[in-house]
Amino acid sequence: MADKQKKPVIGSLQPDVDAMLDWDRLTPDDFAPAEPEEKENFIQARRSVSYWSDAWRRLRKNGVAMVALGVIVLLVLFAFVGPMLVPYGYDERNIGAENLFPYHYTLEEQAQYQEAASAADPETAVANARAEAEAKGETLTRKEEALIRAKAKSGGEYAGMSEAEVYAALGIHKHAFGYSNKELQRMADGEKVFPHMFGTDKLGRDIMVRTMYGTRVSMIIGLAAAFIVLVIGALYGSISGYCGGKVDAVMQRIVDVIYSVPEVLVILLISTSLQPHITQFITDHQGNGLAESMRTLGPNLIAMFISFGLLYWVSMSRIIRGQILQLKQQEYVTAARALGASGGRIIRRHLLPNCIGQIVVTTCLQIPSAIFLESFMSYLGVGVSAPLTSLGSMCRDALSGFTSYTYRLVIPAAIISVMILAFNLFGDGLRDALDPRLKK
Amino acid sequence: MAKYILKRIVMAIVTVLVVSCVTFLLMMSVPGSPFASERALTPQQEATLNAKYGLDQPLPVQMVNYLNKALHGDLGESLKMQKGRAVTDIIKEMFPVSAKIGAMALVWAVAVGILLGCLAAYHRGKWIDSLLRVVCTLGISMPSFVVASFLLILFCSPIAPQLLKSAQLTAIFDAGLGLKAYFMPCFALGLYPMCYTARLTRSSMLDAIGQEYIKTARAKGLKSGKIIFKHALRNALIPVITYLGPLVAFTLCGGFVVESVFSIPGLGRYLVQSITNRDYFIIMGVTIFLAAFVVIMNLVVDVVYKLVDPRIDITKGE
Repeated sequence: MADKQKKPVIGSLQPDVDAMLDWDRLTPDDFAPAEPEEKENFIQARRSVSYWSDAWRRLRKNGVAMVALGVIVLLVLFAFVGPMLVPYGYDERNIGAENLFPYHYTLEEQAQYQEAASAADPETAVANARAEAEAKGETLTRKEEALIRAKAKSGGEYAGMSEAEVYAALGIHKHAFGYSNKELQRMADGEKVFPHMFGTDKLGRDIMVRTMYGTRVSMIIGLAAAFIVLVIGALYGSISGYCGGKVDAVMQRIVDVIYSVPEVLVILLISTSLQPHITQFITDHQGNGLAESMRTLGPNLIAMFISFGLLYWVSMSRIIRGQILQLKQQEYVTAARALGASGGRIIRRHLLPNCIGQIVVTTCLQIPSAIFLESFMSYLGVGVSAPLTSLGSMCRDALSGFTSYTYRLVIPAAIISVMILAFNLFGDGLRDALDPRLKK
Repeated sequence: MAKYILKRIVMAIVTVLVVSCVTFLLMMSVPGSPFASERALTPQQEATLNAKYGLDQPLPVQMVNYLNKALHGDLGESLKMQKGRAVTDIIKEMFPVSAKIGAMALVWAVAVGILLGCLAAYHRGKWIDSLLRVVCTLGISMPSFVVASFLLILFCSPIAPQLLKSAQLTAIFDAGLGLKAYFMPCFALGLYPMCYTARLTRSSMLDAIGQEYIKTARAKGLKSGKIIFKHALRNALIPVITYLGPLVAFTLCGGFVVESVFSIPGLGRYLVQSITNRDYFIIMGVTIFLAAFVVIMNLVVDVVYKLVDPRIDITKGE
């Protein structure tokens, strides 16, 4: 065997006995029992890789999912940290700063524009022209004078041009961020003014802060819905799957009924019928903490949460039921039962942990669909109540003036799309990482 | 088979019944008399009105009466929006508008979605597959109002590219204004289902391609196109069919938004308006009608599903 040189395998649990033993030079010390420390050194243990770290490793390799995660983190910062940095409130009206665009012209440039665009006094124009002509030794005919008058009346050489075109003709470029004239004046006086980066709406509210709050509302609703779905769906699905038989049949019929009812209708219905009750409750319990929080949320959001609790968990419960049906045939479940474990314990300790991957993925993919639904409802005007805002209701408000104030529609619409996209992509990546069998 | 269909029909009836009862009870729980918004009434007048509309009877009796009337096609009258007009009459007028747009959107969405899904599966791993995946993931991330808004900006706002506003292009849609009026709403409504169908078709197509019988077909020397569209597609379509039921519901509800954006006089927009106006009989009637419609569509899809794929053992409920 000596000629067969064994290559040491790195990380192998087999100690390389050949190299350790030099048969010619053995001393009695070599036969002494090993110290505990030596024993530990002898065992080359490899760090065990847990399910989660394995999944995390796979996820990290997935570039798209990591970018999506980065976008989600940025959006979370935008929604939760952003409002602390901006000195405006989401319902604070900045008087004199209504309808600002996300760009501005300096005061001097505006003065220049005014000068160019305002119709010069026809008589002065004619007098100027006359003086000019006399200097050249000519006289103006009546017709020429009339022409000059008409031209001056209609705004000079910039007649019929839009504001932007006039600025372009004057060679003036836009500067980023919106400032009202008052704010520009204050800046000229040496004060520091926070810009309206996305402009303001018709009530003078800063659109960036509103977008931040809207994103926050959407995210909270997405997370809360996912949580509701997780709890109810996992409970219902696991009980239905584990019990099987008649219980399962009845529970699945209930699911069938719920599944075929469109949730949008239910939200509309519940919010309509709840509105008077909630208003009543709030007026009856002035100053009560619960009533106050209900006032902030508004009846529509409460209706939305109720509907999530009533209807939205159905797909989750179906997925978990399917998993449990498969898993409960496994030997370890039989073993647990033979050892006398109760049904609840088997579900909690054996079945649910084994479909945790599915649960996490379904929960994660539930977030974008809840955000989707919320924006949809807000867009219809049955979402959050004013003055609180959400991305959907911002889009709705912007629609009527989208030809003049396109940015008001584009900004929230883009953010909501990016947010849903990021959650979708991250959920897909998570699915690939947690359950590689499902990868298509 | 007959037993299955019967069972499903019974289930559907139960569902509609439950929805109707819940709708009725929710609406009746709203405090205040429906005549409260009118000028002040004497107690006697109010009692007369209550008697006329059967509101003096106990709630269960009212509910049975309402359901009985509903079965005979009487869903009550509008109280505010179009005072005195029968709700069934309103549904009759508005639903065809919604149904037309919904059906057109569904048809293009499913047809194009299946085609793109097959294309992506056929070119698996190539650039066309990646491109389609990006487009479809984007598509399922945009709510219909976002799509509609971008269409509006693209075609109707002053910053729209000149190319899109040129006379030749608009002339295509202008033929009798028929197509032009439908193009934007149907596109906005159908984009999400289209992308979803494409993704679904792609993954189920990949499953189907991996099967033994496809290998056999290949070994026989069949052309790839024929294998995909004749042999694999049949099996790949089954998950797509199951998705059609929820898709109908989705399109219906998506119609609420699209109709609102484009000011289409459809039932969805009307329902939303009646909610803002708190016209309870319309809300109740239209909700029951739409829920029944969705349940029936689900029923049809499930039966078709069974007919298409006889391997599915429905007696076990799976």
